[in-house]
Amino acid sequence: MILRQFTAMAVLGLSLATSAGAHDLQYTVGGGQASVISLFYVDNTPFSFESYEITREGEKLPFQVGRTDARGRIAFLPDGAATWQIKAVSEDGHGLEFKFSTDAAALLVGADKPVVDRYSRIAVGVAVILGMFGFLSLYIKRKRAT
Amino acid sequence: MHIPDGFISPQTYLPLYAVAGVAWVYGARSLRRQLDADALPTLAVMTALSFVLMMLALPLPGGATAHAAGIGLLAVSFGGWMGFMAISLVLMMQALLFGVGGVTALPINALALGLIGSFAAAGCWRLLRRYNESVALFLAGWFSIVLPAILIALVLGIQPNIAHDANGAPLFFPFDLSITLPAVVLPHLLVGVAEGVLTVLGYRYFTRLRAKLAR
Repeated sequence: MILRQFTAMAVLGLSLATSAGAHDLQYTVGGGQASVISLFYVDNTPFSFESYEITREGEKLPFQVGRTDARGRIAFLPDGAATWQIKAVSEDGHGLEFKFSTDAAALLVGADKPVVDRYSRIAVGVAVILGMFGFLSLYIKRKRAT
Repeated sequence: MHIPDGFISPQTYLPLYAVAGVAWVYGARSLRRQLDADALPTLAVMTALSFVLMMLALPLPGGATAHAAGIGLLAVSFGGWMGFMAISLVLMMQALLFGVGGVTALPINALALGLIGSFAAAGCWRLLRRYNESVALFLAGWFSIVLPAILIALVLGIQPNIAHDANGAPLFFPFDLSITLPAVVLPHLLVGVAEGVLTVLGYRYFTRLRAKLAR
């Protein structure tokens, strides 16, 4: 009788211990091949502590969400070949969206790039504006002449 | 301040494209009536200045950044419609050629910065110039930044209510009005001071320059 009670108690104790074990968080620390994405403003101020999400193309649920670190960086460990969409946003409405791809070995193979680098943008933009107004001026003068 | 792509729901930007489209057509007609070949070089330089200012971020206390826009200077020099069209041109170029500010957000940016900003500045200038020119110019610049900032904060802040999934998770911009209003408007109260000073100094400089060239 005592033996039977002891066995029942032991089985119950073990089963409770097993289910409790499912809530006991474990961890490992190791190295890995991460893609590092840096976000920053035009003047190189880092986009620090702002929220982002990375979603595999074609899926609705994000693969990774979080906040950038103090230097505006995101460490991302993809799980295979895919195109990823990253969306970063700050509370004051700054942010960006772009795509990048990884291969079967989960290595970065390409990313959207700005068409023109940030310093050239300003020069090109000013030139385009002045050029457009130049043409407009010629148009008005020609119209006046006729 | 201008909003990038992916932050604004179609329920917001599609109707606003229609509103902005009407404003652009009316603005183009107004431009044709008012445009003077002699004023074009100044308009070109001020538009280019606005483009440069919008591309340069000013660091603010707390780590955020913002930028002046030259809206006040354009509006007090050329009026509301010219200011709107010049700022719209700058925003279109930034969105289409350089990916700064979104194509989907273009109507909101154009209506807020271009239309509201320009008409706020032009109205302020017309109302107050008879009392004190410098104060009128400063306030024109200040309102040309602060009013668009309020509008942009409102548009961003209502996105979680307008577009969300079945569980209530926002599909576009995730922060509501309680966050966007202070986050967007408070820094722009300071940026408005820079814009006000720029409007005073810029207007005086261009007025002197035009007087010299006219001699």
